Amino acid sequence: MVQAAMTRGREARGGGGFQQHKLAPYAFISPFYVLFAFFFLAPSLIALVLSLFRWDGINDPRFVLARNYGRLVSDKVFAQVATNTAIYAIASLLIVLPLALVLAVLLNSKSLRFSNVWRAMYFTPVVTSTVAITLVFQILYSRDTGLLNAPLIYLGLEPIYWLGDRSWAKVAIIILIAWRSTGLLTIYFLAGLQSIPEELYEAASIDGASMLQKFFRITIPMLRPIILFVSIIVLLSSIQIFDEPQILTQGGPANSTMSVVQYLYERGYTRLRLGFASAVGTVLFATVFILSLLQLQWYGVFRKED
Amino acid sequence: MGERFGQRLGVVALHVVVISGALLTVAPIAFMIYSSFKTTTEIFTLPPWLPPAEWSFKNYETLLTTWHFTYWYANSIIYAGVVTVFVLFFCSLAGFAFAKYFFRGKNFLFIILIGSTMIPFQLILIPLFILMSRIDWVNHPASMIIPWMAPAFGIFLMRQYIQAVPSELMESARIDGASEFRIYAQVIVPLVRPGLTTLAILTFLGSWNSYIWPLMVLRGNEVITLPVGIATMRSQATASQIPYGEMMAAATLVSVPVIVLFLMLQRYFISGLTIGAVKG
Repeated sequence: MVQAAMTRGREARGGGGFQQHKLAPYAFISPFYVLFAFFFLAPSLIALVLSLFRWDGINDPRFVLARNYGRLVSDKVFAQVATNTAIYAIASLLIVLPLALVLAVLLNSKSLRFSNVWRAMYFTPVVTSTVAITLVFQILYSRDTGLLNAPLIYLGLEPIYWLGDRSWAKVAIIILIAWRSTGLLTIYFLAGLQSIPEELYEAASIDGASMLQKFFRITIPMLRPIILFVSIIVLLSSIQIFDEPQILTQGGPANSTMSVVQYLYERGYTRLRLGFASAVGTVLFATVFILSLLQLQWYGVFRKED
Repeated sequence: MGERFGQRLGVVALHVVVISGALLTVAPIAFMIYSSFKTTTEIFTLPPWLPPAEWSFKNYETLLTTWHFTYWYANSIIYAGVVTVFVLFFCSLAGFAFAKYFFRGKNFLFIILIGSTMIPFQLILIPLFILMSRIDWVNHPASMIIPWMAPAFGIFLMRQYIQAVPSELMESARIDGASEFRIYAQVIVPLVRPGLTTLAILTFLGSWNSYIWPLMVLRGNEVITLPVGIATMRSQATASQIPYGEMMAAATLVSVPVIVLFLMLQRYFISGLTIGAVKG
């Protein structure tokens, strides 16, 4: 029907107007494609080509075939940073995601008073500057006078060396990630909860179902597509993590908190190993590409349910 | 009666859990603001709720006098503001085309648009930086603005909003002899203000809080942004003399205005985040 209306509109105008109508959409979308070609597509292709070269940005690039990838695979530091990044991703999936899901259910409860106030409080980390809040956490993590160690200090116990110990430093980053992202994931889950028909819960209540039964038998199955969607968002953002470890620990101690993107930044930007860093970027791209395909798959899932 | 008592207990427990979690969430922000009135020594004194010996804006004064804080602030506002204006224009225009026109190659072009979101920024970090240095955009505001003027997600977002505008409105304007651009400017734009507000908030925030890109392309106190500037405050000091008091004042000035903005426009912000997730 809309198409018919459009055709009628076109016929009514004729002449030059007809031409304008045909060309206008191309003009309207062209800024995106020009910018995309120049600033995203071209650099992406350069990255793929550059990953086959050795180049410091000054001397002539030297073709080395797949040697950058070979080095990457055998590099102990890369193995370390890939493990660290995987730990961040898994911790986000297993800790932050369930936390956000439970929080969304609690915030969605009808018996909760002033729900908007609490929601706003939970959402503030989403908009807070990562750099600013990471500096705050740095103070909170301080060994001898940090707030997080205060209970241990008062009890006369050995304080935790949050940012100086290889394992605790990872925990410190994960706590920060949890603080930063729980609110965001809660927003997604709350949106998903709106789509569950109220009748399902009412019927379950009549059948005498408990709160927990409703949660596991209705909420979780009904939210399945959203949970999958959020899982992929979590994985994608974990893979691209940079700000938190860069500010909090600079990747230390001894690379124990360094993420893949930090590694890429350090090798490419600081040490000017441009070819090698491009190989890291390409590996990252392949990972993200596969995850994004999965994500689009879930978009399809949503559309069917709409 | 026992059941009702149990229900009440449940409601109380719900409030206890939700409220303590909420307080825990805002605690670091409260700590930041509170600390901005303390000296560095006082910040590192337990317990943290101990008030400063003397309430003063000294950290804020030092921030403005000894650091280039006003430059950083102005730069952040300019970069984020200009980017936002361009994003609103280009994304709504392209979103309009994808929502309301039928044209050859539309599906293919739309697939490219969606596919472009699969390129992680990190892949192009190094080559884009090389490109910037080749065209002399390192340390130039253009590097913070021009590549970011038409993000795919913004076009997708605006397309969602513009699809909801009835096509009949366009048709009657067209019969009245309005040009395609005038239809966009005078029919579409006024009707999708909520969508534009949403996109404006997301874009401004993204630019305001961005770190890795300005860290790479901007150098020198006159051009860097707030997050980069604040990180510099720490890296430039020796370990024993990191000006935490001033850094907390800076952190407060970066985040509090944005938080207030968020509280005022929360509705738009949340609809922007969830439009992709739920409506597909």
